[in-house]
Amino acid sequence: MTLSGAAGAVVQVAAVAAGSPMLVGWMRQVRARLEGRAGAGALQPYRELRKLAGKQDVTPEGTTAVFSLAPALVAGVMLVCAAVVPTVTVASPLDSIADLFVVVGLLLVATVALVLAALDTGTPFGGIGASRETTIAALVEPAILVAVYSLSIRASSSNLAAIVRATERRPGDVLTPAGALAFAALVVVIVAETGRLPVDNPATHLELTMVHEAMVLEYSGSRLAILEWAAAMRLAVLVGLLANLYLPAGVAGPRSGPVGIVLGVLAIAAKVAVLAGALAAAEVFVAKLRLFRVPELLAGSYLLGLLAVTAAYFLGPRRA
Amino acid sequence: MSAGTYASLVDLAAGLLLLSAVLVVWRRDLRAATRLLAVQGAALGAIPVLAGIRARDAHLLVVGAAVIALRAVVFPRLVAARLRGAPSHDREGAPVVNTATSLLVTALLVTAAYALGGSLVHAGPSSSARAAPVGFALVLVGVFLLATRRHALSQVVALLLLDNGIDAVAFLASHGVPPVVELGASLDVLLAIVILGVLAGRMHEKFGGTDLDDLRELHE
Amino acid sequence: MSAGAPDARDAPATSGRRHERAALAAGIATSLLGAAGVALGVVAVASGVGPVRVGGALPLAGVTLAAGATGGLFLLLTGAVAVAVGAYSAGYERHGSTGPAQLAAVPFFVAAMLLVPLAGSATTFLAAWELMALASLVAILADHARAAVRDAARWYAVMTHLGFVAILLAFVVLGAAGHADALAVLERRAGSLSSSSRDVVFLLSFLGFGAKAGLVPLHVWLPRAHPEAPSPVSALMSAAMVATGVYGIVRIDVEVLGGGPRWWALVVVLAGATSALFGVIQASVSTDLKRLLAYSTTENMGLVTLALGSSMLLADYGERSLATVALVAALVHVVAHAAFKSLAFLGAGAVLFATGLRDLDLLGGLATRMPATTGLFFVAALGASGLPLGAGFVGEWLLVQSLIHSRPGTGTLLALVMPVAVGVVALTTGLGVAAMVKASGIAFLARPRSAEAARAHEVPAAMVAPMATLAAASAVLAVAPSALAPALGRLARELPGHPGSFPQLGLLLRLPGVAGSVSPGLLAVGVVAASGGVVALRALVGRSRRPRGTRAPLWSGGAGALTERMQYTATSFAEPLQRVFDDVLRPDVDVEVGHVEESRYLVERVRYRSRIGDVVEERVFSRVLDGVHAWASLVRRVHNGSVHRYLAIGALALVAAVAVAR
Repeated sequence: MTLSGAAGAVVQVAAVAAGSPMLVGWMRQVRARLEGRAGAGALQPYRELRKLAGKQDVTPEGTTAVFSLAPALVAGVMLVCAAVVPTVTVASPLDSIADLFVVVGLLLVATVALVLAALDTGTPFGGIGASRETTIAALVEPAILVAVYSLSIRASSSNLAAIVRATERRPGDVLTPAGALAFAALVVVIVAETGRLPVDNPATHLELTMVHEAMVLEYSGSRLAILEWAAAMRLAVLVGLLANLYLPAGVAGPRSGPVGIVLGVLAIAAKVAVLAGALAAAEVFVAKLRLFRVPELLAGSYLLGLLAVTAAYFLGPRRA
Repeated sequence: MSAGTYASLVDLAAGLLLLSAVLVVWRRDLRAATRLLAVQGAALGAIPVLAGIRARDAHLLVVGAAVIALRAVVFPRLVAARLRGAPSHDREGAPVVNTATSLLVTALLVTAAYALGGSLVHAGPSSSARAAPVGFALVLVGVFLLATRRHALSQVVALLLLDNGIDAVAFLASHGVPPVVELGASLDVLLAIVILGVLAGRMHEKFGGTDLDDLRELHE
Repeated sequence: MSAGAPDARDAPATSGRRHERAALAAGIATSLLGAAGVALGVVAVASGVGPVRVGGALPLAGVTLAAGATGGLFLLLTGAVAVAVGAYSAGYERHGSTGPAQLAAVPFFVAAMLLVPLAGSATTFLAAWELMALASLVAILADHARAAVRDAARWYAVMTHLGFVAILLAFVVLGAAGHADALAVLERRAGSLSSSSRDVVFLLSFLGFGAKAGLVPLHVWLPRAHPEAPSPVSALMSAAMVATGVYGIVRIDVEVLGGGPRWWALVVVLAGATSALFGVIQASVSTDLKRLLAYSTTENMGLVTLALGSSMLLADYGERSLATVALVAALVHVVAHAAFKSLAFLGAGAVLFATGLRDLDLLGGLATRMPATTGLFFVAALGASGLPLGAGFVGEWLLVQSLIHSRPGTGTLLALVMPVAVGVVALTTGLGVAAMVKASGIAFLARPRSAEAARAHEVPAAMVAPMATLAAASAVLAVAPSALAPALGRLARELPGHPGSFPQLGLLLRLPGVAGSVSPGLLAVGVVAASGGVVALRALVGRSRRPRGTRAPLWSGGAGALTERMQYTATSFAEPLQRVFDDVLRPDVDVEVGHVEESRYLVERVRYRSRIGDVVEERVFSRVLDGVHAWASLVRRVHNGSVHRYLAIGALALVAAVAVAR
């Protein structure tokens, strides 16, 4: 463990925690401009969080500790993920306690906590959201794990820092068929994991279509603020992960000084802004998929991941 | 061009072939399928072009150019022209089995192609020969699509996919076929498209649809 | 699914104090036997037990007892489960109607299960195996007045005896070819057997042990017997007895036979993958709590078998350290499964004890009425879902790691099997999460869906304490799997073909020859600390502006008063999954719409009925049963009751036997 790595880990958690609402605001702003609206500005999520944090907490009658503790657990899990995923530095001392499979599992833990909280309310909306979210989460799993598998072949390790470093050493490897197929698979999976179009629409409040929003319907005040913040962190961590898996340029190493860490923050901010902008722009052109066509999307993603794995074995650069 | 660059570019072209085949299975919209066929044709044509540049062989360059012209431009255009005339419900692929199952079957077929192709290409140790199973995979996926798509035009798409696969095997496993054979094969396919296209048009005029399930009634 | 009928509580207490004493005695005997099993297991792991020969115990062959590290691990597992279950059942059966014979069967059942890993010879093994089957059969029949219980017992009896026949034949072939009875001798001679007799032994023994482990398609007894047995017996069967099936596969197919050709591994991988997927899909749509847990057992045993098969396949390709990782994954998962599944069944038993219900569609709201049971069941569900921080995670992580690290160029087959296997494990985990979320979320949270659930009270401390012990064991396995490291290390050294390099299960889990590690313990600490930090943050930020918190009725989008019937049920929760897996499940759905008399356009009521059976049972076994039936009626024509004819047949058979034996 180096001092620089520890500092980098603290900085990347802080960067994700503080910057993620801006990411959400940026994506909304891109969409608004492309749809011909003025938009509320990239800083709007901060204003919303501030407003919610000052409101009275209302605990619905008949709910248990599951309901009141879920937001903290969800946000806590996201903070741990932010510490593990190499967004700013590849030398995080926490890297060795969790690999990419654990990160995927932790995201699922957060999903489960929210689903249980939604069921705890006993409202029809909570049930709708919980049931749909569980279905999607269950079917995402094979796609995401096979994509992780294909990524780990290059580095012969599923630990994130190892994968990012392998890409740093041989940037050309991501342009192989295996890399391209895995990228396509990962994009689909990340869209499903973060509840963006076409799997879920974060801007909807219609019974027919909402998934995540239906689950948090009973939350208000500071608990809702924490959930919104956690959702933003989830998006930031996953987009940041995708960016650094494929373009690790600028990420701080074990011997980077303060300048290196600052550069790392700037680099990841730029990469995430571009990637998220592209995602938001793409969202303008797609419609939400029917829930029962989501399995098709995920089966497709699984297939791409599978092809990526087989391509890595059969095509790809030949090594001794 | 160094051997490493050549190998990785061929691999990329092979990956593109595979990806476009998967997307053809995935997307129902036939217009999207024609665009994907164009991409696939370009990737297919790139393989002999790359080989030609590497070996400084004008012959291969000509073949590549012909393949690109036919498969990336002419064939997709022909299908697209047919589609423009067709009513909206004919523009869908209308698979017999649902898309998720089709995708999983495709996964199995590709896996099978690797398993079978692996033993077949041991003859050719060249770096492109390792990618030959991709061609087999395209052939198998093409046959699968032929078997499971309803509309006449989606059958044409499947046929083109299959033919691209055969060509891909030829280009990847050896250094392609003589230009005359390639030309003959392509003309056959062209003929097939034209005939099927005309047939589909006539069918449409007579019965108001090109659903192959309805053809059974002609027999009775 | 009709309302789950209670197994114990509703019947009037028969002969009060006598019954109470009998229940207490049976519970104490079970726990003591379990403790003895744990002690023997520790000795066996540390230095091995036996061989001890007790000549007179069985005619002709005698009983030989011997156990190495493999047997020791399973002794430990069975013993530990039995200790907790014995203590629990003393409280559970106090008010029950279980007869004395059924109560007495439980200690015998435990003794037989302990004898299986202790068996040092083929005859002892078979005798213990059969004793285990019979004792468990009697124990299942506690509530034999109900037809469902008798039906379940019949299925169980037939399946388990078919399995026994297969194992018996396997041992006959093995013993005849190896000219020995002792397993240790057979182990030395197995290498020189002809390949065809090895194949026969493998196929027969895998069939028999697979039936005991609940692998598809021989799992059909499991979703019937587990729900109908009294909950302590279900816990013993699901946590310990199915593990003897795994023990059999490890002991006979891996250890004694020492591995075989590549297709053996493929058969095992295929059986494991099919069982895992089929089990979890069925579990995710089950609405009966204990049936759900039973299918989850099939799922977990499928994963274990998949790991064993991958281990065999990897060893065959020369990836020795990865093969060890896969083997360790299988064993870790068997142990973790015993902990969380026995806890889950005891939790389901507590729900049954308090409400008399097993049907998830009628439960709900138990979290406020039975807080201790709820918390403990959540621990079990977390373990069963295979999520990080749960007991099931370590085994699944090791399995996935062993699958993804085979080097490119090792073999075409490996490169094709592994991604599919990873997909299977992933889908199993995902759907397992769905099943466990349903079991815990629908049964314990929200509001009660029936009057029985509304009247529930917490079960007595005598039942909570054993469950708490099992929960503690699950937690230890989840955050500190190093507790298993000594036993597994010895075991891996004993098995043929596994080298010294062994996964490190310390604070950091590290694998031999693979860069990468995880630390479940530090992860748990991190998540707890971060969540605590968020709670503190919430208390600080905006505190000055925020009015005091309040409680208010549910909002639900502004809808009026919410009734219990407006909640999601287990059926509706799983409906999307049921649709997605329509082709596998073949549900029998019936929607009946009744119209108001005056107008066809006004709907008076809609009745939705769905029943999901077991496809394997309905499509495969019904055909088999029809075939057997047809054959039996053919044979029946010979049986016309004439004594002369029977004597003549007997005489012919004698002549034939002499002619063959000549």
